[in-house]
Formats: sequence, structure tokens, C-alpha cells
Amino acid sequence: MRRFARRFHGAVALTAPLVALVCHACLACVTQRVVTAAEAAPQNAVQMAVVFLAKDDVAQRSIGLDRIRYGTKGEAATRTFASLLPTLAPGRQIELLAALADRGDHTAVAAAVALAGTSTDEAVKAAAVRCIGAIGGAAEVRVLLQSLTASDLEKAAARRGLVVVGGQNTVAAIMAAAKSAEPGVRATLLEILADRRERSALADIAAAASDDNAVVRTAAMRSLGRMGGPDQVAAMVQGVLKAAAGAERDEAERSLVVVCTQNSGKDLAAALFLKQFKSIDDSSCETLLPTVGRVGGLAAVAIVEGMIADPDAAKRKLGLTALTRWPDASVSERLLDLLGKAKDPAERELLLGSLIRIAPLPDNKLNDKQKLELLEKTMALCQRDEDRRRVLERANAIRMIETLRFVVPYLEDPNLAEPACLSVVELAHHRNLRDAHKDEFTKALDRVLALTKNEELLERASRYKEGQTWERKKPAAKG
Amino acid sequence: MAYDSASLDKPLEALKAFDWGGDAAPLQAIDAAVIAVHADPAARANLEKRLAGLLGAGTSQPVTEYVCRKLSMIGTAASVPTLAALLPEKDHSHMARFALERIAAPEAAAALRQALAAVQGDLKIGMISSLAGRGDAACVPMLAGLLAGESRTAVAAADALGRIHTPEAVQVLAAATSIGDKPAAAAIVNARLACAESLLRQGKRPEALSVYNSIAAGSEPTASFTRLAAERGILACLDTTTSP
Repeated sequence: MRRFARRFHGAVALTAPLVALVCHACLACVTQRVVTAAEAAPQNAVQMAVVFLAKDDVAQRSIGLDRIRYGTKGEAATRTFASLLPTLAPGRQIELLAALADRGDHTAVAAAVALAGTSTDEAVKAAAVRCIGAIGGAAEVRVLLQSLTASDLEKAAARRGLVVVGGQNTVAAIMAAAKSAEPGVRATLLEILADRRERSALADIAAAASDDNAVVRTAAMRSLGRMGGPDQVAAMVQGVLKAAAGAERDEAERSLVVVCTQNSGKDLAAALFLKQFKSIDDSSCETLLPTVGRVGGLAAVAIVEGMIADPDAAKRKLGLTALTRWPDASVSERLLDLLGKAKDPAERELLLGSLIRIAPLPDNKLNDKQKLELLEKTMALCQRDEDRRRVLERANAIRMIETLRFVVPYLEDPNLAEPACLSVVELAHHRNLRDAHKDEFTKALDRVLALTKNEELLERASRYKEGQTWERKKPAAKG
Repeated sequence: MAYDSASLDKPLEALKAFDWGGDAAPLQAIDAAVIAVHADPAARANLEKRLAGLLGAGTSQPVTEYVCRKLSMIGTAASVPTLAALLPEKDHSHMARFALERIAAPEAAAALRQALAAVQGDLKIGMISSLAGRGDAACVPMLAGLLAGESRTAVAAADALGRIHTPEAVQVLAAATSIGDKPAAAAIVNARLACAESLLRQGKRPEALSVYNSIAAGSEPTASFTRLAAERGILACLDTTTSP
């Protein structure tokens, strides 16, 4: 407490008129004497607020902080409050910085910048950076940028600060840094620009979508996905094409799909995307096919149908591939039609695989009954047991008693019994379904117990038959 | 919809037999009439008279409640005598106050003041509450006389003075700081804070500061949060850069 008092005295040298008053406050602290506001008179609001900041009682301090936040207007008062910063203990510095941030007076920014540069306390530095973000301007962007490479606490504060920092030329300063900083910082800045909803930065962000650095590209595509529109579609297509296959491309595709299906101007964006799709070379076309499917819609169907009808075998194959990657079951009838007519084994396998995949998809296109009907039709078109096995394994995703009735006859086919056993057990896993049709499940599970050699299926079938639960084993952790 | 007095004959007759939980459909015509007479003083007076005529000895609580609620919306000085007669009655006093508290006529306040002097216990506390609800400055001397009395009544009186917060109320409360009853003393401090807040809102900073300073520097045992509130008020009074 005495150390605090000494520090406080030092600070007051900057604000001479306050000396007598603040000394009074320190004395009160040292002697544990209760000093009332009335005793501190004569006073003005600024002096009183300073007195309250020195109180040990948090409630009393909050009175002073409340006045700093919302009262005692004026730059002179702000300067007085800010001048206290170097003299306070870290906890009190954080309190005052938060109050100064809420106060919103740029006058305090120099003191906050100084403290951010000199303090060795991470929490204080972070609070100072938060304050700089709240009351700073373009001139402070440099400080905030430096903090983006600091400790996690300070970095988070800087990131938030760059989102909220105001003032003229601020966006320009952030955009300039977003072009020249090291890739990690560039990526963060691109996301910050999206957080700020800086539409003026869209062109720069779009340019970064094809950057040579994957981290930058990913951040740019993610930002475009949040606020991009038709004007950014061309750049986003390049971004998808440049993205590395796998997670990066998948995320890039999703961003482009969001622009084409959800953002403002989505219809125009989708039209522009499909127009561009038609004009690109075959290899790029193949890369973008999943995105075409994800964008979906009648226009996408028309493009794909056009490719399927193309006399060029390569084009037809691309069209079929696009159709088989469709995100929902809306193209199921077309797939069945094509499968019924297909002669080429490779084409048949492609179409069949797609039907088996999309039939039980949990989207809103088909109800459970329709899903099962589609699967039954697909089964009827299967010519190989290998395909029938896939159908049976996929069937258990449609959790209804009719699915059990569809699967049970295949238990008696030696070539298909094992996948049928698996589906019976998977369906029995769902207690509500199992209990509602106990007799049917008991009979089916008895057949599974008689037929399967798989130990796990045997254990599960026994447990379900006895009304017990079974806990699915968690996959082993990687590494 | 125009007001038609004759069309209310049946609903008003049905109202006499109304009970809580019963069929309220016949009362809908009365509800509609209350709305219809809004801009028609003659019709309003007619409806008020017919409704007030239902009140009196032997009227059930559900009917009294319904009528008082309607009179609180359309009542005038003409209803005051009927409602005032219910104020001393244990079962009907509350709803009579409900109406009188909302009838703008000064006669309504006068009836509440008159009852304040006449009733005791919970009914007296009810009168104090309704006079405070009206912000009735004329009852301040009466309330002043209650501060040193029975504890619950004194607490209610102090609270009422804080809600009325006229300069006279401020003076009365300042003069009552030596009251020994603890609940009453605490209520008086709270009321003084309420007065000071009101004065500050009105821009009367010196007057508000005087009250806050008096509370903050007071020698009587005061809860810490009360002292904090006073200190916060002092700061707000000194801060001339912001509107209160």
C-alpha cells in the first residue's frame, strides 16, 4: 500500500492542482480511514473521480471509473485520467484502460500506446491494445499490427482492436499491411477486413484469393465467402482452381457456394459462376464440377445435361461425374434413367455408386419412404452382388421398419447375408425402432445370431435382443 | 363504434351476477362501450353513472373489481363519492384506491387524504401508497406526521415522500434523520436518495448535492451501499459536463 502511495504521489507531479486532494486519498488508504466524498471537498468532478480511483474498495473505484466512462467530458479531463496510467498497479491500470476505452476520447491514446510499449505485464499490454483499438485511428494501426505477432492475449486484443479501430485512412493502412506483411499476419488482416465488412477492400481480398501462399488464399476465400458477391466470382473461381486438393479446396468451394447461394446477389453470382464454368478448359472444368453440383439449381442441371448429351466422350464423362456428385437426391430420377440405359460398365458403376450414396442423404429432398423406394429401385438395377452389398449396407441409414423388411430376405442369400446382418444389427441399435417392433426384430436378430461369424455383430445382436445397449467403440486417436 | 346506452341494459344486468372464472362474454359489450365513450363526454358521463350505480353495500368483490377497473379509465369527480365510501371497507378498499389513484380529478386525491386520516393499519398504508402514486404534494404534511409513528406506516410514509419528492418532501425527510426506528430510518435515507436523484434529473444540482452530502457525511449508521449511492450522486452533481 505504501509503495502504491509513493507511486501515486509521483504521478501527481504531473497534475499539480490535484496534489493536496490525492495526498488526502493516499493518507486515507494508509490509515485505513474512511474518507467520504464530502470530506474530500473542495473538489470538482475530475478530482473526485481521481480520488475514487485510488480507493481499495472495488465498489468505490467503480464509481470513479463509471464517471470516467460516461461523465466528466473534455480532453483536459481525459489527459488527467490518462496521466495516472503509469503510476497505477497492473490491476488498476487494466481497470482504467477499460474505462478510457469506453470513454472513447482519442486524447488518451498516446498514454495507452506508451503503456503498451513499456509494460511487462501481458494482461496490461492486452488491455492497452484493446484501448488503442477503441480510441485510436490510422496512426495507431502500426502499433496494433505489431501486437498481432505478440502473445496470444495481446494478439487477440490487437485483432479485435483492428476490427473496431476507426478514423480516416485506417482501412487503407490495414489494406496496405494486408498486401505486404508476412503470410500469417496477411491472413489475419484479410479476415479482419471481412469482420469490418470493408467492401472497399473486396478487390484486394479477391486478388489474394490466388496468392501463392495457401494460408493467405484460404483466408481470402473465407473472407470473400462472408461478404463477397457477383463481382468476386471470377476471382473466387481462380481461388478454387489454385487451392490444393483436399481441405483447402473443400473450404474454398464452400465459400464460393455461399456466395452463389446465400450472399447478396446470389442469383447473379450463380449465373456468373456457371457462365465461367462453361468457358473453362476441361481440366479446370473437372476441378470445378463439385462446386457446380453444390451450387445446384436448374441452370446447373442444364449445363450438366448439355455435357452428358455432348458427342465428345470426355465431355459426357465430365457431365456424368458432375451429376453423380450432386449434393442432394433431386437428380435421383435422372440417375435411375441413365443407369437403366447405360451399357458401359464404368458408367454403370459411376451411376450406381451415386444412387447408393444419395438415396439415404439426410436432406429435405426425400422422406424416408421415398428414400427406401429409391434404394429398392437401385437394388433392382444392380447386376453384381458387390453392388447389392453396398445397397444393403447403405440401407440402415433409413431408420424405419420397412427397411428391416427390405433387408431381412437377403439374410437367406449366402452372398449377401453378411451386409444384411450388419444392417439388421444397425437398425436394431435404435431402441425406439426396435422396441416398437420387438417381435420382428427378435426374429431377425435370431437369424443374425445363427448366420454371422462376426464377433462384434454377435455381441450386439445378443445385447439388443435382451433389450440392452451397446456402446460404439470410439475410433483410435491419431498418432 | 357509437355508444348506445340501451344496448348495455342486458350486459349491466349480467354483470351483477358476474363471478371470477365465470363467463365474461356478456362483459365484452361494456368493455367496448368504455372504448367507445372515449371522445364523447356525455356518453362517458352516462356510462360512468351507470357503472358507479352498481357499487355499494352488497356488491360482490368480482363486480366491484370489474367496475373499479372501468372507472379507473373513464371515472371523473362524479364517481368519487361512491368510490370514497368503499375506502374504509376491508374487501373493497384496494379496488376503490385503484380507481381513485387514476382518476385525475383533485376530488379523488382529497378523498384519499380524508381516508388516510380515518383508517388504520394496512388500509392506511394503502392510502399512503395511492397518494404517492398520484404524486400528491398536498399530503406531505400528513405523511410528515406519520414518520415518527408505527414502524410499518412510517416506512410507507418515508417511501411515499421519496416518490413525491417535492421541495417540501425533501425538507420533511431532512428533518426526520433522528428517527430511531431502524426500518423507518433506512426508508428515510432511501427516500432522501430518491429525492436527490429527482432533483438531479431536474437539473437542480446544488439542491441535490446538499442532500447527497448530507447522507454521505451523516453520522447515523448507514448501509455501505447507501453511502456509495450518495458518493456516486455527489460525483454526478459535480460533473457539469454531462446532463444528469
